[in-house]
Amino acid sequence: VSSPDAEELEGLLRRLAPQVLGALVRRHGQFDACEDATQEALIAAARQWPTDGLPDHPRGWLIAVATRRLVDELRAERSRRAREDIVADREERSGPAVGDAAMSAHDDALILLFLCCHPALTSASQIALTLRAVGGLSTGEIASAFLVPEATMAQRISRAKQAIKASGTAFELPPDDDRAERLRAVRHVLYLVFNEGYTATAGPDLQRVELAEEAIRITRMLHAMMPADGETAGLLALMLLTHSRRNARVTPDGALIALAGQDRSRWDRRMIDQGVALVERALATAAIGPYQLQAAIAALHAEAPSADETDWHQILALYTLLVRIAPSPVFALNRAVAVAMAKGPDAGLVELAAVESDDRLAGHHRVAAVRAHMLEFAGDRYAAAAAYRAAARLTTSLAERRYLESRAAAMPSIEADVETDEPAPTLSYMVTSKDEGENT
Amino acid sequence: MKYMLLIYDRPDTRELFSGPDGKAMREQMDDLMAELTASGELVGGEGLADPAQTRSIRGQDGVPVVTDGPLAEAKEHFGGYLIVDCDTADRATEIALRWPNALFASMEVRPIMNAGGGEEM
Repeated sequence: VSSPDAEELEGLLRRLAPQVLGALVRRHGQFDACEDATQEALIAAARQWPTDGLPDHPRGWLIAVATRRLVDELRAERSRRAREDIVADREERSGPAVGDAAMSAHDDALILLFLCCHPALTSASQIALTLRAVGGLSTGEIASAFLVPEATMAQRISRAKQAIKASGTAFELPPDDDRAERLRAVRHVLYLVFNEGYTATAGPDLQRVELAEEAIRITRMLHAMMPADGETAGLLALMLLTHSRRNARVTPDGALIALAGQDRSRWDRRMIDQGVALVERALATAAIGPYQLQAAIAALHAEAPSADETDWHQILALYTLLVRIAPSPVFALNRAVAVAMAKGPDAGLVELAAVESDDRLAGHHRVAAVRAHMLEFAGDRYAAAAAYRAAARLTTSLAERRYLESRAAAMPSIEADVETDEPAPTLSYMVTSKDEGENT
Repeated sequence: MKYMLLIYDRPDTRELFSGPDGKAMREQMDDLMAELTASGELVGGEGLADPAQTRSIRGQDGVPVVTDGPLAEAKEHFGGYLIVDCDTADRATEIALRWPNALFASMEVRPIMNAGGGEEM
Protein backbone atom coordinates (compact mmCIF):
# COMPACT_ATOMS: atom_id res chain seq x y z
CA VAL A 1 0.00 0.00 0.00
CA SER A 2 1.41 3.35 -0.95
CA SER A 3 1.35 5.99 1.71
CA PRO A 4 -0.56 9.15 0.86
CA ASP A 5 1.43 12.35 0.76
CA ALA A 6 0.76 14.86 3.51
CA GLU A 7 -1.31 17.21 1.39
CA GLU A 8 -3.50 14.49 -0.07
CA LEU A 9 -4.05 13.04 3.36
CA GLU A 10 -5.05 16.35 4.86
CA GLY A 11 -7.45 17.02 2.00
CA LEU A 12 -9.03 13.61 2.38
CA LEU A 13 -9.41 13.89 6.16
CA ARG A 14 -10.92 17.36 5.93
CA ARG A 15 -13.38 16.19 3.28
CA LEU A 16 -14.43 13.21 5.37
CA ALA A 17 -14.65 15.09 8.68
CA PRO A 18 -18.24 16.38 8.32
CA GLN A 19 -19.40 13.03 6.91
CA VAL A 20 -18.00 11.13 9.88
CA LEU A 21 -19.41 13.59 12.37
CA GLY A 22 -22.78 13.53 10.63
CA ALA A 23 -22.94 9.74 10.72
CA LEU A 24 -22.08 9.73 14.43
CA VAL A 25 -24.59 12.36 15.45
CA ARG A 26 -27.30 10.71 13.38
CA ARG A 27 -26.75 7.45 15.23
CA HIS A 28 -25.96 8.60 18.76
CA GLY A 29 -27.21 12.17 19.15
CA GLN A 30 -25.05 14.25 21.52
CA PHE A 31 -23.41 16.57 19.04
CA ASP A 32 -20.75 17.79 21.47
CA ALA A 33 -19.44 14.35 22.45
CA CYS A 34 -19.55 13.18 18.80
CA GLU A 35 -17.61 16.25 17.73
CA ASP A 36 -14.82 15.49 20.20
CA ALA A 37 -14.74 11.82 19.16
CA THR A 38 -14.51 12.79 15.47
CA GLN A 39 -11.57 15.09 16.16
CA GLU A 40 -9.79 12.28 17.98
CA ALA A 41 -10.40 9.90 15.09
CA LEU A 42 -8.98 12.48 12.65
CA ILE A 43 -5.88 12.86 14.80
CA ALA A 44 -5.46 9.07 14.99
CA ALA A 45 -5.76 8.82 11.20
CA ALA A 46 -3.25 11.62 10.62
CA ARG A 47 -0.83 9.70 12.82
CA GLN A 48 -1.39 6.17 11.53
CA TRP A 49 -2.21 6.42 7.83
CA PRO A 50 1.12 7.86 6.66
CA THR A 51 2.93 4.79 8.00
CA ASP A 52 0.25 2.09 7.74
CA GLY A 53 -1.12 3.25 4.40
CA LEU A 54 -4.70 4.20 3.60
CA PRO A 55 -7.36 1.79 4.88
CA ASP A 56 -9.64 0.29 2.22
CA HIS A 57 -12.58 2.32 3.48
CA PRO A 58 -11.25 5.52 5.03
CA ARG A 59 -14.70 6.83 5.93
CA GLY A 60 -15.68 3.55 7.60
CA TRP A 61 -12.36 3.43 9.46
CA LEU A 62 -12.89 6.93 10.83
CA ILE A 63 -16.48 6.21 11.85
CA ALA A 64 -15.41 3.02 13.61
CA VAL A 65 -12.59 4.71 15.52
CA ALA A 66 -14.73 7.73 16.38
CA THR A 67 -17.55 5.48 17.58
CA ARG A 68 -15.13 3.57 19.80
CA ARG A 69 -13.92 6.82 21.33
CA LEU A 70 -17.47 7.99 21.80
CA VAL A 71 -18.53 4.78 23.52
CA ASP A 72 -15.47 4.93 25.79
CA GLU A 73 -16.28 8.50 26.66
CA LEU A 74 -19.94 7.79 27.37
CA ARG A 75 -18.97 4.80 29.50
CA ALA A 76 -16.49 6.89 31.48
CA GLU A 77 -19.12 9.57 31.85
CA ARG A 78 -21.61 7.01 33.17
CA SER A 79 -19.21 5.65 35.74
CA ARG A 80 -18.29 9.17 36.82
CA ARG A 81 -21.95 9.85 37.40
CA ALA A 82 -22.35 6.54 39.22
CA ARG A 83 -19.38 7.29 41.47
CA GLU A 84 -20.87 10.63 42.31
CA ASP A 85 -24.09 8.83 43.03
CA ILE A 86 -26.10 10.97 40.70
CA VAL A 87 -29.22 9.49 39.30
CA ALA A 88 -28.77 9.19 35.61
CA ASP A 89 -32.08 10.47 34.38
CA ARG A 90 -30.83 11.12 30.91
CA GLU A 91 -31.60 8.40 28.44
CA GLU A 92 -28.80 7.34 26.19
CA ARG A 93 -30.00 8.28 22.77
CA SER A 94 -28.64 5.33 20.89
CA GLY A 95 -31.68 4.30 18.97
CA PRO A 96 -31.61 2.47 15.67
CA ALA A 97 -29.80 4.15 12.83
CA VAL A 98 -33.01 5.19 11.13
CA GLY A 99 -32.57 6.08 7.52
CA ASP A 100 -28.82 6.07 7.92
CA ALA A 101 -28.21 4.42 4.59
CA ALA A 102 -30.80 6.50 2.81
CA MET A 103 -29.39 9.80 3.92
CA SER A 104 -26.38 10.76 1.92
CA ALA A 105 -23.15 12.07 3.37
CA HIS A 106 -24.00 15.36 1.67
CA ASP A 107 -27.16 15.76 3.71
CA ASP A 108 -25.16 15.21 6.88
CA ALA A 109 -22.64 17.86 5.94
CA LEU A 110 -25.44 20.28 5.08
CA ILE A 111 -27.22 19.68 8.39
CA LEU A 112 -23.91 20.23 10.15
CA LEU A 113 -23.43 23.56 8.40
CA PHE A 114 -26.89 24.69 9.49
CA LEU A 115 -26.16 23.53 13.03
CA CYS A 116 -22.80 25.33 13.24
CA CYS A 117 -24.38 28.55 11.98
CA HIS A 118 -27.29 28.28 14.40
CA PRO A 119 -28.77 31.67 15.34
CA ALA A 120 -28.28 30.96 19.07
CA LEU A 121 -24.51 31.26 18.55
CA THR A 122 -22.43 34.42 18.40
CA SER A 123 -20.79 35.08 15.09
CA ALA A 124 -17.32 34.28 16.52
CA SER A 125 -18.63 30.93 17.76
CA GLN A 126 -20.36 30.14 14.46
CA ILE A 127 -17.10 30.72 12.62
CA ALA A 128 -15.01 28.64 15.03
CA LEU A 129 -17.42 25.71 15.11
CA THR A 130 -17.92 25.68 11.33
CA LEU A 131 -14.17 25.50 10.75
CA ARG A 132 -13.81 22.67 13.24
CA ALA A 133 -16.90 20.54 12.63
CA VAL A 134 -17.33 21.10 8.89
CA GLY A 135 -13.81 22.15 7.93
CA GLY A 136 -12.12 19.46 10.00
CA LEU A 137 -9.53 21.91 11.36
CA SER A 138 -8.05 21.46 14.81
CA THR A 139 -8.65 24.02 17.53
CA GLY A 140 -4.95 24.93 17.39
CA GLU A 141 -5.11 25.60 13.65
CA ILE A 142 -8.19 27.78 14.01
CA ALA A 143 -6.63 29.66 16.94
CA SER A 144 -3.48 30.45 15.01
CA ALA A 145 -5.51 31.55 11.98
CA PHE A 146 -7.28 34.10 14.17
CA LEU A 147 -4.17 34.93 16.21
CA VAL A 148 -5.69 34.09 19.56
CA PRO A 149 -4.47 31.59 22.18
CA GLU A 150 -5.67 28.02 21.74
CA ALA A 151 -7.47 28.18 25.10
CA THR A 152 -9.51 31.15 23.87
CA MET A 153 -10.56 29.32 20.72
CA ALA A 154 -11.29 26.11 22.66
CA GLN A 155 -13.59 28.12 24.88
CA ARG A 156 -15.46 29.57 21.89
CA ILE A 157 -15.97 26.10 20.46
CA SER A 158 -17.07 24.66 23.76
CA ARG A 159 -19.50 27.51 24.31
CA ALA A 160 -20.88 27.03 20.80
CA LYS A 161 -21.53 23.37 21.50
CA GLN A 162 -23.25 24.22 24.78
CA ALA A 163 -25.49 26.70 22.99
CA ILE A 164 -26.46 24.08 20.42
CA LYS A 165 -27.21 21.60 23.15
CA ALA A 166 -29.27 24.17 25.05
CA SER A 167 -31.23 25.07 21.92
CA GLY A 168 -32.42 21.45 21.69
CA THR A 169 -32.06 21.53 17.92
CA ALA A 170 -32.52 18.13 16.35
CA PHE A 171 -30.01 16.80 13.84
CA GLU A 172 -32.13 17.42 10.78
CA LEU A 173 -32.58 20.03 8.11
CA PRO A 174 -34.33 23.20 9.33
CA PRO A 175 -38.05 23.34 8.50
CA ASP A 176 -38.92 24.80 5.10
CA ASP A 177 -40.23 28.11 6.40
CA ASP A 178 -36.93 28.65 8.24
CA ARG A 179 -34.62 27.30 5.56
CA ALA A 180 -34.00 30.47 3.55
CA GLU A 181 -33.11 32.52 6.62
CA ARG A 182 -30.81 29.83 8.00
CA LEU A 183 -29.11 29.48 4.64
CA ARG A 184 -28.51 33.23 4.63
CA ALA A 185 -26.75 32.84 7.98
CA VAL A 186 -24.58 30.01 6.62
CA ARG A 187 -23.53 32.10 3.63
CA HIS A 188 -22.73 35.05 5.87
CA VAL A 189 -20.48 32.94 8.12
CA LEU A 190 -18.61 31.62 5.07
CA TYR A 191 -18.28 35.17 3.77
CA LEU A 192 -16.82 36.31 7.11
CA VAL A 193 -14.30 33.45 7.08
CA PHE A 194 -13.29 34.39 3.54
CA ASN A 195 -12.82 38.05 4.41
CA GLU A 196 -10.80 37.20 7.48
CA GLY A 197 -8.50 35.14 5.31
CA TYR A 198 -8.40 37.63 2.47
CA THR A 199 -7.32 40.49 4.68
CA ALA A 200 -5.16 38.55 7.12
CA THR A 201 -2.38 37.07 5.08
CA ALA A 202 0.80 39.05 4.64
CA GLY A 203 3.32 36.90 2.87
CA PRO A 204 3.43 33.15 2.86
CA ASP A 205 3.10 31.50 6.22
CA LEU A 206 3.03 27.76 5.81
CA GLN A 207 2.04 27.18 9.40
CA ARG A 208 -1.17 29.12 9.04
CA VAL A 209 -4.30 27.73 7.52
CA GLU A 210 -5.45 29.70 4.49
CA LEU A 211 -8.87 30.80 5.68
CA ALA A 212 -9.83 32.26 2.30
CA GLU A 213 -9.17 28.93 0.64
CA GLU A 214 -10.96 27.08 3.41
CA ALA A 215 -13.99 29.34 2.90
CA ILE A 216 -13.90 28.63 -0.84
CA ARG A 217 -13.66 24.89 -0.19
CA ILE A 218 -16.70 24.83 2.12
CA THR A 219 -18.69 27.16 -0.14
CA ARG A 220 -17.90 24.88 -3.07
CA MET A 221 -19.27 22.00 -1.02
CA LEU A 222 -22.43 23.97 -0.24
CA HIS A 223 -22.83 24.91 -3.90
CA ALA A 224 -22.47 21.26 -4.92
CA MET A 225 -25.30 20.40 -2.52
CA MET A 226 -27.61 23.06 -3.91
CA PRO A 227 -26.44 24.00 -7.41
CA ALA A 228 -29.71 25.80 -8.20
CA ASP A 229 -29.33 28.26 -5.32
CA GLY A 230 -28.32 31.51 -7.01
CA GLU A 231 -26.95 33.28 -3.95
CA THR A 232 -24.71 30.37 -2.98
CA ALA A 233 -23.37 30.31 -6.54
CA GLY A 234 -23.00 34.09 -6.35
CA LEU A 235 -21.06 33.88 -3.11
CA LEU A 236 -18.72 31.24 -4.53
CA ALA A 237 -18.22 33.36 -7.66
CA LEU A 238 -17.52 36.45 -5.55
CA MET A 239 -14.91 34.57 -3.52
CA LEU A 240 -13.20 33.14 -6.61
CA LEU A 241 -13.15 36.47 -8.44
CA THR A 242 -11.75 38.26 -5.39
CA HIS A 243 -9.23 35.54 -4.59
CA SER A 244 -8.02 35.50 -8.21
CA ARG A 245 -6.16 38.73 -7.42
CA ARG A 246 -4.33 37.43 -4.36
CA ASN A 247 -0.89 37.33 -6.03
CA ALA A 248 -1.23 40.82 -7.49
CA ARG A 249 -2.61 42.80 -4.57
CA VAL A 250 0.50 43.14 -2.41
CA THR A 251 4.17 43.75 -3.13
CA PRO A 252 6.66 41.13 -1.88
CA ASP A 253 7.28 43.33 1.16
CA GLY A 254 3.60 43.49 1.99
CA ALA A 255 2.56 46.91 0.63
CA LEU A 256 -0.93 47.09 -0.84
CA ILE A 257 -1.33 47.66 -4.56
CA ALA A 258 -4.47 49.47 -5.68
CA LEU A 259 -6.61 47.62 -8.20
CA ALA A 260 -5.69 50.08 -10.96
CA GLY A 261 -2.00 49.45 -10.37
CA GLN A 262 -2.11 45.66 -10.26
CA ASP A 263 -0.31 43.53 -12.83
CA ARG A 264 -3.33 41.86 -14.40
CA SER A 265 -1.21 39.08 -15.87
CA ARG A 266 -0.78 37.87 -12.31
CA TRP A 267 -4.52 37.40 -11.81
CA ASP A 268 -5.55 33.76 -11.68
CA ARG A 269 -7.38 33.25 -15.00
CA ARG A 270 -8.67 29.81 -14.11
CA MET A 271 -10.37 31.18 -11.01
CA ILE A 272 -11.76 34.12 -12.97
CA ASP A 273 -13.21 31.83 -15.63
CA GLN A 274 -14.86 29.69 -12.96
CA GLY A 275 -16.23 32.73 -11.15
CA VAL A 276 -17.56 34.35 -14.32
CA ALA A 277 -19.25 31.13 -15.45
CA LEU A 278 -20.86 30.67 -12.03
CA VAL A 279 -22.27 34.18 -11.81
CA GLU A 280 -23.48 34.23 -15.43
CA ARG A 281 -25.36 31.00 -14.91
CA ALA A 282 -26.82 32.15 -11.58
CA LEU A 283 -27.99 35.48 -13.00
CA ALA A 284 -29.62 33.71 -15.93
CA THR A 285 -31.40 31.04 -13.93
CA ALA A 286 -31.99 32.10 -10.31
CA ALA A 287 -33.64 34.92 -8.38
CA ILE A 288 -31.24 37.86 -8.20
CA GLY A 289 -29.48 38.63 -4.90
CA PRO A 290 -26.71 40.72 -3.34
CA TYR A 291 -23.90 38.16 -3.70
CA GLN A 292 -24.68 37.65 -7.38
CA LEU A 293 -24.63 41.39 -8.00
CA GLN A 294 -21.33 41.82 -6.15
CA ALA A 295 -19.92 38.90 -8.12
CA ALA A 296 -21.13 40.50 -11.36
CA ILE A 297 -19.32 43.70 -10.41
CA ALA A 298 -16.16 41.73 -9.59
CA ALA A 299 -16.50 39.97 -12.94
CA LEU A 300 -16.55 43.31 -14.79
CA HIS A 301 -13.28 44.24 -13.08
CA ALA A 302 -11.81 40.83 -13.81
CA GLU A 303 -12.69 40.99 -17.50
CA ALA A 304 -11.43 44.53 -18.12
CA PRO A 305 -8.15 44.26 -20.07
CA SER A 306 -6.85 47.32 -18.19
CA ALA A 307 -8.06 49.63 -15.43
CA ASP A 308 -8.83 52.34 -18.03
CA GLU A 309 -11.07 49.98 -19.94
CA THR A 310 -13.25 49.15 -16.93
CA ASP A 311 -16.96 49.47 -17.72
CA TRP A 312 -17.85 51.89 -14.92
CA HIS A 313 -21.28 52.70 -16.31
CA GLN A 314 -22.22 49.05 -16.09
CA ILE A 315 -20.71 48.83 -12.59
CA LEU A 316 -22.69 51.89 -11.51
CA ALA A 317 -25.89 50.32 -12.84
CA LEU A 318 -25.18 47.15 -10.85
CA TYR A 319 -24.47 49.14 -7.67
CA THR A 320 -27.67 51.10 -8.12
CA LEU A 321 -29.56 47.83 -8.27
CA LEU A 322 -27.60 46.42 -5.33
CA VAL A 323 -28.37 49.41 -3.11
CA ARG A 324 -32.03 49.07 -4.03
CA ILE A 325 -32.39 45.36 -3.19
CA ALA A 326 -29.98 45.34 -0.22
CA PRO A 327 -29.76 48.81 1.30
CA SER A 328 -26.49 49.20 3.20
CA PRO A 329 -24.25 52.19 3.90
CA VAL A 330 -21.19 50.26 2.71
CA PHE A 331 -22.79 49.45 -0.65
CA ALA A 332 -23.86 53.10 -0.91
CA LEU A 333 -20.27 54.17 -0.28
CA ASN A 334 -19.03 51.82 -2.99
CA ARG A 335 -21.71 53.18 -5.31
CA ALA A 336 -20.38 56.70 -4.73
CA VAL A 337 -17.01 55.55 -6.06
CA ALA A 338 -18.70 54.16 -9.15
CA VAL A 339 -20.48 57.52 -9.61
CA ALA A 340 -17.11 59.30 -9.48
CA MET A 341 -15.63 56.92 -12.01
CA ALA A 342 -18.58 57.02 -14.39
CA LYS A 343 -19.52 60.71 -14.10
CA GLY A 344 -16.47 62.46 -12.68
CA PRO A 345 -15.15 63.32 -9.20
CA ASP A 346 -17.53 66.25 -8.59
CA ALA A 347 -20.57 64.04 -9.03
CA GLY A 348 -18.84 61.49 -6.81
CA LEU A 349 -18.25 64.02 -4.04
CA VAL A 350 -21.90 65.09 -4.12
CA GLU A 351 -22.92 61.44 -3.83
CA LEU A 352 -20.40 60.90 -1.03
CA ALA A 353 -21.81 63.82 0.98
CA ALA A 354 -25.21 62.12 0.94
CA VAL A 355 -23.74 58.76 1.98
CA GLU A 356 -21.60 60.28 4.74
CA SER A 357 -24.62 61.49 6.68
CA ASP A 358 -25.41 57.87 7.61
CA ASP A 359 -24.45 57.42 11.26
CA ARG A 360 -23.48 53.81 10.66
CA LEU A 361 -20.47 55.03 8.67
CA ALA A 362 -19.32 57.47 11.37
CA GLY A 363 -15.60 57.05 12.02
CA HIS A 364 -15.22 54.53 9.19
CA HIS A 365 -11.83 54.98 7.56
CA ARG A 366 -13.25 54.03 4.15
CA VAL A 367 -15.28 57.22 4.03
CA ALA A 368 -12.15 59.34 4.47
CA ALA A 369 -10.20 57.14 2.05
CA VAL A 370 -12.87 57.46 -0.64
CA ARG A 371 -13.04 61.23 -0.10
CA ALA A 372 -9.24 61.42 -0.39
CA HIS A 373 -9.20 59.53 -3.69
CA MET A 374 -12.00 61.67 -5.10
CA LEU A 375 -10.29 64.89 -4.07
CA GLU A 376 -7.05 63.72 -5.63
CA PHE A 377 -8.96 62.79 -8.78
CA ALA A 378 -10.55 66.26 -8.78
CA GLY A 379 -7.10 67.83 -8.52
CA ASP A 380 -7.54 69.23 -4.99
CA ARG A 381 -4.40 67.66 -3.68
CA TYR A 382 -4.08 69.63 -0.44
CA ALA A 383 -7.51 68.53 0.68
CA ALA A 384 -6.72 65.03 -0.57
CA ALA A 385 -3.59 64.90 1.61
CA ALA A 386 -5.62 65.88 4.69
CA ALA A 387 -8.24 63.24 3.91
CA TYR A 388 -5.59 60.56 3.36
CA ARG A 389 -4.09 61.41 6.75
CA ALA A 390 -7.52 61.28 8.39
CA ALA A 391 -8.14 57.87 6.84
CA ALA A 392 -4.70 56.63 7.97
CA ARG A 393 -5.56 57.55 11.55
CA LEU A 394 -8.85 55.63 11.40
CA THR A 395 -7.77 52.31 9.93
CA THR A 396 -6.63 49.43 12.14
CA SER A 397 -4.75 47.63 9.37
CA LEU A 398 -1.00 48.29 9.27
CA ALA A 399 -0.89 47.72 5.51
CA GLU A 400 -3.75 50.13 4.87
CA ARG A 401 -2.21 52.75 7.14
CA ARG A 402 1.04 52.44 5.27
CA TYR A 403 -0.73 52.80 1.92
CA LEU A 404 -2.77 55.82 3.03
CA GLU A 405 0.26 57.53 4.55
CA SER A 406 2.22 57.01 1.36
CA ARG A 407 -0.63 58.58 -0.64
CA ALA A 408 -0.66 61.54 1.75
CA ALA A 409 3.10 61.91 1.35
CA ALA A 410 2.76 61.85 -2.45
CA MET A 411 0.52 64.95 -2.37
CA PRO A 412 2.41 68.26 -2.69
CA SER A 413 3.00 70.20 0.52
CA ILE A 414 1.82 73.80 0.88
CA GLU A 415 5.43 75.02 0.71
CA ALA A 416 6.16 73.27 -2.56
CA ASP A 417 3.19 74.68 -4.42
CA VAL A 418 4.36 74.17 -7.96
CA GLU A 419 2.98 72.67 -11.12
CA THR A 420 3.82 69.02 -11.43
CA ASP A 421 4.46 67.10 -14.59
CA GLU A 422 2.70 64.08 -13.22
CA PRO A 423 -0.13 62.81 -15.36
CA ALA A 424 -3.62 63.46 -14.08
CA PRO A 425 -4.42 60.83 -11.48
CA THR A 426 -7.21 58.38 -12.06
CA LEU A 427 -9.47 56.99 -9.44
CA SER A 428 -9.71 53.28 -9.64
CA TYR A 429 -9.44 51.08 -6.66
CA MET A 430 -11.25 48.67 -4.48
CA VAL A 431 -13.46 49.41 -1.55
CA THR A 432 -14.23 46.38 0.50
CA SER A 433 -15.67 45.86 3.89
CA LYS A 434 -15.34 43.07 6.36
CA ASP A 435 -18.95 43.48 7.36
CA GLU A 436 -20.70 43.46 4.07
CA GLY A 437 -20.17 44.36 0.54
CA GLU A 438 -17.33 43.95 -1.85
CA ASN A 439 -15.77 45.82 -4.65
CA THR A 440 -15.99 48.91 -6.64
CA MET B 1 -11.57 42.84 16.47
CA LYS B 2 -8.97 42.96 19.24
CA TYR B 3 -8.84 45.74 21.79
CA MET B 4 -6.41 46.53 24.56
CA LEU B 5 -8.04 47.78 27.74
CA LEU B 6 -5.46 49.92 29.50
CA ILE B 7 -5.94 49.92 33.24
CA TYR B 8 -4.77 53.00 35.15
CA ASP B 9 -4.10 53.01 38.88
CA ARG B 10 -3.84 55.68 41.53
CA PRO B 11 -0.98 55.62 44.07
CA ASP B 12 -3.44 54.26 46.66
CA THR B 13 -4.97 51.56 44.46
CA ARG B 14 -3.43 48.71 46.42
CA GLU B 15 -4.81 50.08 49.70
CA LEU B 16 -8.23 50.47 48.10
CA PHE B 17 -8.21 46.82 47.11
CA SER B 18 -7.28 45.72 50.62
CA GLY B 19 -9.69 48.18 52.28
CA PRO B 20 -13.37 47.74 53.18
CA ASP B 21 -14.53 47.85 49.53
CA GLY B 22 -11.68 45.64 48.36
CA LYS B 23 -13.47 42.32 48.59
CA ALA B 24 -16.35 43.49 46.40
CA MET B 25 -13.91 44.91 43.84
CA ARG B 26 -11.86 41.72 43.70
CA GLU B 27 -15.01 39.69 43.23
CA GLN B 28 -16.13 42.04 40.49
CA MET B 29 -12.79 41.48 38.74
CA ASP B 30 -12.91 37.71 39.18
CA ASP B 31 -16.46 37.53 37.85
CA LEU B 32 -15.56 39.58 34.82
CA MET B 33 -12.47 37.47 34.10
CA ALA B 34 -14.54 34.28 34.41
CA GLU B 35 -17.13 35.69 32.03
CA LEU B 36 -14.51 36.72 29.45
CA THR B 37 -12.79 33.35 29.68
CA ALA B 38 -16.05 31.46 29.24
CA SER B 39 -17.14 33.58 26.29
CA GLY B 40 -13.84 33.09 24.47
CA GLU B 41 -13.24 36.85 24.34
CA LEU B 42 -10.21 36.94 26.63
CA VAL B 43 -6.96 36.91 24.68
CA GLY B 44 -4.60 37.89 27.47
CA GLY B 45 -3.68 40.38 30.14
CA GLU B 46 -1.14 41.18 32.83
CA GLY B 47 -0.83 43.35 35.90
CA LEU B 48 2.32 45.42 36.39
CA ALA B 49 4.49 45.77 39.49
CA ASP B 50 4.65 49.07 41.37
CA PRO B 51 5.90 52.00 39.28
CA ALA B 52 8.76 52.41 41.79
CA GLN B 53 10.37 49.42 40.07
CA THR B 54 10.33 51.11 36.67
CA ARG B 55 13.42 51.67 34.58
CA SER B 56 12.94 54.30 31.92
CA ILE B 57 14.90 54.86 28.76
CA ARG B 58 14.81 58.18 26.99
CA GLY B 59 16.68 59.36 23.92
CA GLN B 60 18.89 62.34 24.52
CA ASP B 61 20.64 63.74 21.45
CA GLY B 62 20.34 60.38 19.75
CA VAL B 63 21.65 58.44 22.75
CA PRO B 64 19.37 56.25 24.88
CA VAL B 65 19.78 57.05 28.57
CA VAL B 66 18.52 54.77 31.34
CA THR B 67 17.12 56.19 34.56
CA ASP B 68 15.43 54.60 37.57
CA GLY B 69 11.76 55.45 38.06
CA PRO B 70 8.93 56.34 35.70
CA LEU B 71 9.24 58.93 32.94
CA ALA B 72 6.99 61.39 34.71
CA GLU B 73 5.30 61.64 38.05
CA ALA B 74 1.57 61.46 37.47
CA LYS B 75 -1.64 61.24 39.46
CA GLU B 76 -2.37 57.98 37.64
CA HIS B 77 -0.03 55.38 36.24
CA PHE B 78 -0.38 52.46 33.85
CA GLY B 79 -1.10 49.44 36.01
CA GLY B 80 -1.92 46.62 33.63
CA TYR B 81 -3.94 45.61 30.61
CA LEU B 82 -6.41 43.15 29.18
CA ILE B 83 -6.62 42.12 25.56
CA VAL B 84 -10.08 41.12 24.42
CA ASP B 85 -11.40 39.97 21.06
CA CYS B 86 -14.92 41.37 20.70
CA ASP B 87 -17.50 41.89 18.00
CA THR B 88 -17.79 45.63 18.61
CA ALA B 89 -16.05 48.58 20.24
CA ASP B 90 -19.19 49.02 22.35
CA ARG B 91 -18.74 45.55 23.82
CA ALA B 92 -15.07 46.31 24.65
CA THR B 93 -16.18 49.56 26.30
CA GLU B 94 -18.80 47.72 28.31
CA ILE B 95 -16.09 45.39 29.64
CA ALA B 96 -13.87 48.35 30.56
CA LEU B 97 -16.76 50.03 32.38
CA ARG B 98 -17.12 46.98 34.60
CA TRP B 99 -13.44 46.85 35.64
CA PRO B 100 -13.21 48.33 39.17
CA ASN B 101 -10.67 50.97 38.15
CA ALA B 102 -13.39 52.60 36.03
CA LEU B 103 -14.91 53.75 39.34
CA PHE B 104 -11.92 55.39 41.01
CA ALA B 105 -9.22 55.83 38.33
CA SER B 106 -9.29 55.40 34.53
CA MET B 107 -9.53 52.91 31.73
CA GLU B 108 -8.74 53.31 28.06
CA VAL B 109 -10.09 51.15 25.22
CA ARG B 110 -7.84 51.09 22.19
CA PRO B 111 -8.13 49.03 18.99
CA ILE B 112 -5.12 46.86 18.20
CA MET B 113 -3.64 47.20 14.73
CA ASN B 114 -3.73 44.00 12.71
CA ALA B 115 -0.56 43.03 10.93
CA GLY B 116 -2.45 41.60 7.99
CA GLY B 117 -2.34 42.59 4.38
CA GLY B 118 -5.35 44.86 4.57
CA GLU B 119 -7.72 45.34 1.69
CA GLU B 120 -7.05 46.75 -1.73
CA MET B 121 -7.73 50.45 -1.76
